[in-house]
Amino acid sequence: MKTKNRDQSLSDSRELDGSYDQLTDSIEDDFELSTVCHRPESMDKLQDQTKFTKKELQVLYRGFKNECPSGVVNEENFKTIYSQFFPQGDSSMYAHFLFEAFDTDKNGSVSFEDFVFGLSIILRGTINDRLNWAFNLYDLNKDGCITKEEMLDIMKSIYDMMGKCTYPNMQDEAPREHVENFFQKMDRNKDGVVTIEEFIESCQKDENIMQSMQLFDNVI
Amino acid sequence: MAGGVAAWLPFARAAAIGWMPVASAPMPIPPKDKRKSQEGLIILNVSGTKFQTWKNTLERYPDTLLGSTERDFFFHEETNEYFFDRDPDIFRHILNFYRTGKLHYPRQECISAYDEELAFFGIIPEIIGDCCYEEYKDRRRENAERLQDDEEMDQSNDTTPVNLTPREYLWRAFENPHTSTLALVFYYVTGFFIAISVMANVVETVPCGLMPNRSKELSCGDRYALAFFCLDTACVMIFTFEYLLRLVAAPCRFKFMKSVMSVIDVVAIMPYYIGLVMTDNDQVSGAFVTLRVFRVFRIFKFSRHSAGLRILGYTLKSCASELGFLLFSLTMAIIIFATVMFYAEKGSTASKFTSIPAAFWYTIVTMTTLGYGDMVPKTIVGKVFGSICSLSGVLVIALPVPVIVSNFSRIYHQSQRAEKRRAQRKSRVAKIRAAKIRGTNAYMRYKHSGVMDSVEEASKEAGKLLVSKATSPPFESQHHHLLHCLEKTTNHEFVDEQTFQTNCMEISMMNKAGSRSSSLASSPRLSSCCSRRHRKKSSFSLPSTNNQELSTIQIRERPVVNSRSSLNARLNDDGGMTLKCDASYITPSMVTLSPPAVTSSGGGDGPTGSITYSQSNIVRVSAL
Repeated sequence: MKTKNRDQSLSDSRELDGSYDQLTDSIEDDFELSTVCHRPESMDKLQDQTKFTKKELQVLYRGFKNECPSGVVNEENFKTIYSQFFPQGDSSMYAHFLFEAFDTDKNGSVSFEDFVFGLSIILRGTINDRLNWAFNLYDLNKDGCITKEEMLDIMKSIYDMMGKCTYPNMQDEAPREHVENFFQKMDRNKDGVVTIEEFIESCQKDENIMQSMQLFDNVI
Repeated sequence: MAGGVAAWLPFARAAAIGWMPVASAPMPIPPKDKRKSQEGLIILNVSGTKFQTWKNTLERYPDTLLGSTERDFFFHEETNEYFFDRDPDIFRHILNFYRTGKLHYPRQECISAYDEELAFFGIIPEIIGDCCYEEYKDRRRENAERLQDDEEMDQSNDTTPVNLTPREYLWRAFENPHTSTLALVFYYVTGFFIAISVMANVVETVPCGLMPNRSKELSCGDRYALAFFCLDTACVMIFTFEYLLRLVAAPCRFKFMKSVMSVIDVVAIMPYYIGLVMTDNDQVSGAFVTLRVFRVFRIFKFSRHSAGLRILGYTLKSCASELGFLLFSLTMAIIIFATVMFYAEKGSTASKFTSIPAAFWYTIVTMTTLGYGDMVPKTIVGKVFGSICSLSGVLVIALPVPVIVSNFSRIYHQSQRAEKRRAQRKSRVAKIRAAKIRGTNAYMRYKHSGVMDSVEEASKEAGKLLVSKATSPPFESQHHHLLHCLEKTTNHEFVDEQTFQTNCMEISMMNKAGSRSSSLASSPRLSSCCSRRHRKKSSFSLPSTNNQELSTIQIRERPVVNSRSSLNARLNDDGGMTLKCDASYITPSMVTLSPPAVTSSGGGDGPTGSITYSQSNIVRVSAL
């Protein structure tokens, strides 16, 4: 027996109901969607697929569910939550890039599975996994290489998080210069883009980066 | 503070992976994660009713009683629970605040009991959610007013502050006549004279009987000209005296002169003086007569004596849009109907409707249902349109009037409460903002306490320091570490508003002083973003050759030494240090300051302490 998917059944019921009102349709639509509840897969399955223990998954889910009772995070919520950690600056752009990176199936919302898979790579993955994930974050159009424009966007979003009141004063070309340095370090063949191999190779050579990657081992 | 989303802190820290590959500096060491029983349930026994929640839930808001170590004072060892001797019904709402992040106000509870519970548990009432905030504020205000009324009845005598200058005292006497008997007397005297003056103006024009050798009847004003003139003079003298006194006593004279009441005062007394100046001049006597009309404005001086009059004026001002609409629609209707009537009556003989403007008078009189009858239509078409005109007149005028009336009633009631409500809102917003700033300031304080140390060899010490500073909750230290990582990534530091403004001031001053030297750090853009505060209380004399060094040094010195005086002190107690630090010493340190610089070998970012030291050396030296 094939079960109709939720959207289809919703639209059917609306037609039969007769109370389908063009004028208020959009409002009711949003109302319907907000009560849609997404339940994650069972904890055993998640435990197999990620490298978290049961207790860790419990803690993560409780926090997730508390902030997003419907079980999914949309981009607005995501930005709001992330901005609470950076009261001085504007973290919306960086949160947008993070959202794109977490939302692996590109359906506009991050479910608990997406959330936990992403965290599993960052917090429990090998250094190479983490570098891969970071590369994926930087590669905005997911074409396998980072251009200067993409990097500039990312850099600007990071600098935006600092806000206005910094020491020394934030210059406008600070992100751009930072990007130049980054490309100088990472772009081996000087072709203007950084591919995944160049990225991983350069990062493995840099002692600072390797050390900072190990910071994530005991975040949770 | 991010307490409400404390559960997402691991996610925020994980998201920092995006900063690592682009950071040009090593990351600081994360705080040690004390793996106590963070996951445990905690039992709260409130007067016998047991509540249970996760320990993490309570620790979301570390600046409240339950979230901080303050709750340890209430720990009951025999039963291994926390016991509070408070009201369990209200406690339910407080605990819900920790769970959901929203504080609600139960309507059936007494407002002062609720306030006491909030104060006990260290929760500010400003975070009550919007759903309950209005109700809470209304109840609180009622309560406060009730208490205030009781207080006012107790204290009947108002204590006047002793240290008022005569000028301030005078102004206060003018604004609140009830403060002293002298002010009250003055108030009534001026009121009396306003009345006298207005009545004199009115009586002046009444015909007063015949003069023996004139055929025309004279008005009283002409008959007893001298008496009226003396009365007028006396009134004007009093008004002038009052106006000058007010002008002298006003705290801001320009503002006073611009205010409506002072304009009315001036307009009331001007005609007299103008009349004095240009008597016996036939040319302008016509204009002079017109000027006397302005004397009627003295009646507006009564508005100082009557609050209702002021409210009426304010209402008319605030209903300007409705009045404007009324005027506009009336004008439209008048023009339409006047045109129609003119053309309708054009045919009839001896018609009074000689032109469209002449027909305006008919239309206005008809639409306002006055109907004087001096102009009436004679043709049938004219009569038809005339009746339509009078019917529509009723509608056009009746529609905006209730709006104006309801506006007046609303404003009248609102004027009683407007001030109080406005003050509450300001303080509420200010408190919430202060709480937010406390969050960022907590991070600044954490930085300056010197706990964070990125030097490798001092890591053990840092570890010890961290352990000894076990009072800071794990969430806070992790959050601070996160912000520190961001600083390291971008090579900029978070500073608070004040320091930022002082920095800008410094830089703009230095830019002006050291404009000839092509300095590395200060760029023209800096001065544009800064506030323009030109004066600086600096007793520092800059030697001309060392402008560049000094300018750059002072910029660096600022966050470490927070007062000018200590900087001067350091200079003064300098011994016999020789000025052998040339620009080359300074340059590497300056290079590392500017953000895009590659990590240079010598200076590096690690030993920031040593840079500070070397620069403080230079500061001492170069002043010599």
